Amino acid sequence: MEGIAKETWLHRVNPSIKLLLSLGVLISLLFIHNLNVMLLLTIVIIICFAFGTGVSRKIALLFFLPFFLLFCSSVLTMALYGKGSTFWWEWGIFRVSEESFYRGVHLGFRALTFGLIGLIFVCTTHPVRLFYSLMQQLRFPPKFAYSFMASIRLLPIIWDEFQTIRMAHQVRGFSPGKGWKGFKSKLSAYAVPLLAQSIRRAYRIAVAMEAKRFKGNQKRTYYYQLSIGKWDFLFLLFLLGITGIVWIGSEWIQLLPNQDVRLV
Amino acid sequence: MCDHLTINKGYGVHKLRLKFPGDESLLFRDCHFQYEKGEKILFLGPSGCGKSTLLQVLAGLIPHAVDVPMKAEQVVVPESTAMVFQDPDSQFCMTHVDEEIAFVLENLQIPREEMPAQIKKFLSAVGLHLEDVQTSIHKLSGGMKQRLAIASAMALQPEVLFLDEPTALLDSEGTNQVWETIRQLPEDQTLLIVEHKIEQMLDVVDRIVLFRPDGTILADGKKEEVLANYQEQLREYGIWYPGIWEDRLIDCSEVPITNQADSPLLALRDFQVLHSGNVKLHVSHADLYKGEWIAVMGKNGAGKSTMLQGIRQLLKTKGTLLYQGSPIKRGDLQEIGFVFQNPELQFVASTVKDEVAYSVRQALKNPSEEEIDQVVRERLERFALWEHHHKHPYQLSVGQKRRLSVCATIHERHQILLLDEPTFGLDAQNTFSLLDWLEQFSQSGTTIVMVTHSEEIADHYADRVWWIEEGRLQKVSSNGVDGKELADGGNRERDVASSSKS
Repeated sequence: MEGIAKETWLHRVNPSIKLLLSLGVLISLLFIHNLNVMLLLTIVIIICFAFGTGVSRKIALLFFLPFFLLFCSSVLTMALYGKGSTFWWEWGIFRVSEESFYRGVHLGFRALTFGLIGLIFVCTTHPVRLFYSLMQQLRFPPKFAYSFMASIRLLPIIWDEFQTIRMAHQVRGFSPGKGWKGFKSKLSAYAVPLLAQSIRRAYRIAVAMEAKRFKGNQKRTYYYQLSIGKWDFLFLLFLLGITGIVWIGSEWIQLLPNQDVRLV
Repeated sequence: MCDHLTINKGYGVHKLRLKFPGDESLLFRDCHFQYEKGEKILFLGPSGCGKSTLLQVLAGLIPHAVDVPMKAEQVVVPESTAMVFQDPDSQFCMTHVDEEIAFVLENLQIPREEMPAQIKKFLSAVGLHLEDVQTSIHKLSGGMKQRLAIASAMALQPEVLFLDEPTALLDSEGTNQVWETIRQLPEDQTLLIVEHKIEQMLDVVDRIVLFRPDGTILADGKKEEVLANYQEQLREYGIWYPGIWEDRLIDCSEVPITNQADSPLLALRDFQVLHSGNVKLHVSHADLYKGEWIAVMGKNGAGKSTMLQGIRQLLKTKGTLLYQGSPIKRGDLQEIGFVFQNPELQFVASTVKDEVAYSVRQALKNPSEEEIDQVVRERLERFALWEHHHKHPYQLSVGQKRRLSVCATIHERHQILLLDEPTFGLDAQNTFSLLDWLEQFSQSGTTIVMVTHSEEIADHYADRVWWIEEGRLQKVSSNGVDGKELADGGNRERDVASSSKS
């Protein structure tokens, strides 16, 4: 996500620590069933995303949009088709009950927070640093780390090739027709050349890496030395702080019923 | 050539036998090659003769990194080797210049504290003076990428440096940069080079090994002797030897352009090509006449391909594009053919024959199967591809793929043919055969607009050159007449070439 984000303090947190703590947050989210707590937590995470990642307003909104749509669709499906006994509204097969509505909203918040935490991580983590940190802090095998880093370079090349194939099809009047058969031939018309090019290129890069005496399991030094420091401690405190605020705040601010959605 | 000496001094292979899986015959049968420290050797030979393979054996990449079954009585590989490969886009594994060299230093377990200084040292040794070493490799030109490849190879501090056609995919400026860099390497650096374009690099080497098409060694000796005694083979094997253009041009005489019609076939007025909302190319005024051959030249990234894509309406455009006097319509686009740089990306069928048949079906009105077969056969024979008609397009050689891409694109209704660097990376033989086909089309009245980096092609084949600089058509020059800067106003009546010819 280089180039679109200004550096914030979240960038300075060690990527491995950030990854582990973010995963921890995601898992603990699964155990929050209180709707009011969930709402407050979502608000806090939105604020973190908007002000903590250093991404410009426009791009932040662009990234936010798909997750917001996910939120709306989760709320709708759960609310319209869910089970419940206290009906608010009924029309044909659609029955919105109090229980189903609250469960929908709860699920929507969960989807939204999952997405946003992922986004915060992606926006504040440099991929190369992530892999260097994984190798140094978590003993991730260099063989895989460098392969992943090499593939980062391939992505823009694959995108360019995709554009060229599209143009070439346009020039040659290639129209595979409609339906399943057309879809299949269109898929292979894109996939075969893209895969052929990528496999060949990946193979060449692998040979070039071995020619540079990369062995995958040798002892090595690191150009980027990543360690655990004060920012990581601060990040941990920050997460604990958020938890505390939401916990206490939910007692004072009650926007939605302050109870377990499973028990409504 | 297979004398029964074993290698007691220096490095090399003795009695090498090697076969690619799936091939019927051995690529090398009891091959013997030996060299010593400090030698600077050039491997020459036709495409597919196995010189790159031998290079990989000598560097120890085969059979360790590249899995090809081989047998040899003796292989002596230097303790430390480094190799520079052909394709600038597939030999780096990191995204930034400093990280790429650091990758090598990490492999050698150089302490982190010493890295920045060493990175600077190796970069300046190849003349890459970047303001910030943390520059994205994506932004470098081809020549700069190859110099970075040399820098990271030198970071390995190799006894022997292997170069596998390092300039095949570069323009002449990039090629010069690479050889200039090689000249600045330490005097005693051992070099083994495979190369097709030898004009700019002969002073770098002192020994030449010439291979026959079957992989056997035809000659091995001092540079001067081999060059003098094997002129005929150099020509036959498609090597870009010095003076090749003079030799070629005795064969092909200049044909004057057919009379130009008074009104241009294609007229560009204040023409802009857009890419994601930004103007990528601006042409204030340009005309294209029937039967002309235009070479489009300029630096990498200047906007040459963008211009062709704009003319063919593959990108959004603004301004005026007149085709035969009226604004271009959808239907007109079928009369403009387009050949892409990478042939593989434009193939749509699974056999060579179907590839051509696909285009024939579109060009003819309700053709019968026999009719199609006949036309396809004629075309494939014309491009010397008929014997491969049942193969998958990907199985062809590089030169054949390029020929097929032209062969399958062109049809009789084409008035204009746009080509994006069709001779890029081809050996001399394939280049000239492709140029000869294009010459035939040109003489039958097809207008050709071709992006090229080769000044010789522009000089000898094109009628006019369009020079593109930084997203603008800056200059139009015709053969023999010096170019004239185009004013930005765009209200010139006619440009240089048409006035000089009228």
